[in-house]
Amino acid sequence: MTIATQIDDVSFAHSGGDTRALKRVSLSVQAGEIVALLGPSGAGKTTFLTLLDGRLRDWRGRVSVLGAPLDPDRPPPRARRPDTGYVFQEFALVERSTVLRNVLNGRLGRMSPLRAVLGSSTAHDRRVARDALADCGIADLAHRRVDSLSGGQRQRVAIARCLAQEPQLILADEPVSSLDPTRAAEILALLTEAARARGATVLFSSHQPDLARRFAQRIVGLRAGRIAFDVPTSELSEAATADLYRDAAQMPEIGLRAVT
Amino acid sequence: MRSRGFGSFAAAVLVAGAILWSFATTDIEMARLVSAGPRIADFLGRMFPPDPTIMDEILKGSAETLRIAVLGTLGAVLLSVPLGLLASETMAAPALFRPIRTLLAIIRAVPLILVAMLMVGAVGLGPLPGIIAIAFHATGMLAKFYAEAIDGVSRAPLAALESAGAGPLARLRYAIWPQMAPVVARDTIFRFELNLRESLILGIVGAGGIGFYIQTYVRSFQYDKAASVTLAVVAMVIAIEGVNVWLRRRFS
Repeated sequence: MTIATQIDDVSFAHSGGDTRALKRVSLSVQAGEIVALLGPSGAGKTTFLTLLDGRLRDWRGRVSVLGAPLDPDRPPPRARRPDTGYVFQEFALVERSTVLRNVLNGRLGRMSPLRAVLGSSTAHDRRVARDALADCGIADLAHRRVDSLSGGQRQRVAIARCLAQEPQLILADEPVSSLDPTRAAEILALLTEAARARGATVLFSSHQPDLARRFAQRIVGLRAGRIAFDVPTSELSEAATADLYRDAAQMPEIGLRAVT
Repeated sequence: MRSRGFGSFAAAVLVAGAILWSFATTDIEMARLVSAGPRIADFLGRMFPPDPTIMDEILKGSAETLRIAVLGTLGAVLLSVPLGLLASETMAAPALFRPIRTLLAIIRAVPLILVAMLMVGAVGLGPLPGIIAIAFHATGMLAKFYAEAIDGVSRAPLAALESAGAGPLARLRYAIWPQMAPVVARDTIFRFELNLRESLILGIVGAGGIGFYIQTYVRSFQYDKAASVTLAVVAMVIAIEGVNVWLRRRFS
């Protein structure tokens, strides 16, 4: 089995303070795995995913993603960026553009710079975009403007845009935190199924243990920037989960955010 | 709390001082204002009824003013697109956008009438100096507005496109432009309205347009004809405001 990403002894300090930092994190993820990052708000989940997407600067340690080392001082070369797809917590869609346009935006990194600027997508680009829309169940919304969609529909567009990149590694930052439980399960099901069908590796973060348990093969617990546990889903104990949220429960403000 | 109270007291003293100083040192003779009453009434009387026979001149002058405003705005847009990009934090480095912003502030500070007079000297009488003056003067404001429109877009879609591997120009076209387009449309229409109002007076310094007729008729004491031109100007400004309101509603 090949390795999707290898993280060795990575530390990162936020200028703002202790939360969202990373402290001597090491992790190895095999290609094709579906891994959940579990932890309360401020545990460093987003920081960790941003690191793997090549958008974090000034960290220490060694990271390789899809066989290539990351440089703490500069973003990865443009040719490599589409290989890693990122689903943003707040969707990060262009609100005034159509669904199809937003999904085609995911193809921009695969086009030549000239084609990208001229907006002349190839038949292949359009087919990949249509397949992504179909897999996300929103083929009929292709020509709607994003600002007319609901939250669940928007998250489907965001996932379709990510799939249109044809990524080998999918990083999803709290992809369902803004959705009700039924919608949340639907979205995670389609994300993990689409990834499996494409042979892509998935790392998704969540603060909901039940969702992590349902959709991941492996669960990594993150607490105050450190890896608290790293176990196959079948071995995740209630005690370990409770321990993860121990500090959060003591701090009402963060505890509340972890439950919602 | 104490210092804020002192601050507002100081501001009040400053404003009162400025008003008193202006009254005390300006040569205002109230007697002259009173005796001017009959003369003002005389002017108004001679303006009425407005002379309708100069319709041709009014139409010619209005058309020229409109042309100056349209072409001046076009010139300003063409200059403001590159300058706006270079003046934005999103698209340019600090070493670039800071000096460009200073340059735009200087351009804004130069009065339009001065630019127009210099241009009349440089390229001669007619609409051309007016167009150049409007384009130059409006660029100071429009390029700043464009830069602010670029910097005002939501960052998240930009990060998403960067993460997907889109280059800076593709990001500009697909993440920034769709977000800034309605702002640019509104700003450009607003600037066109200002350009039209300002170009009405350009004729007074010989830079073309309907202002030329106002100056000619007032200086030759043909107040009834000046009144007709004034009415035409008022009608034109109201019409443009109406069109502007309608356009702005469509672009929101």
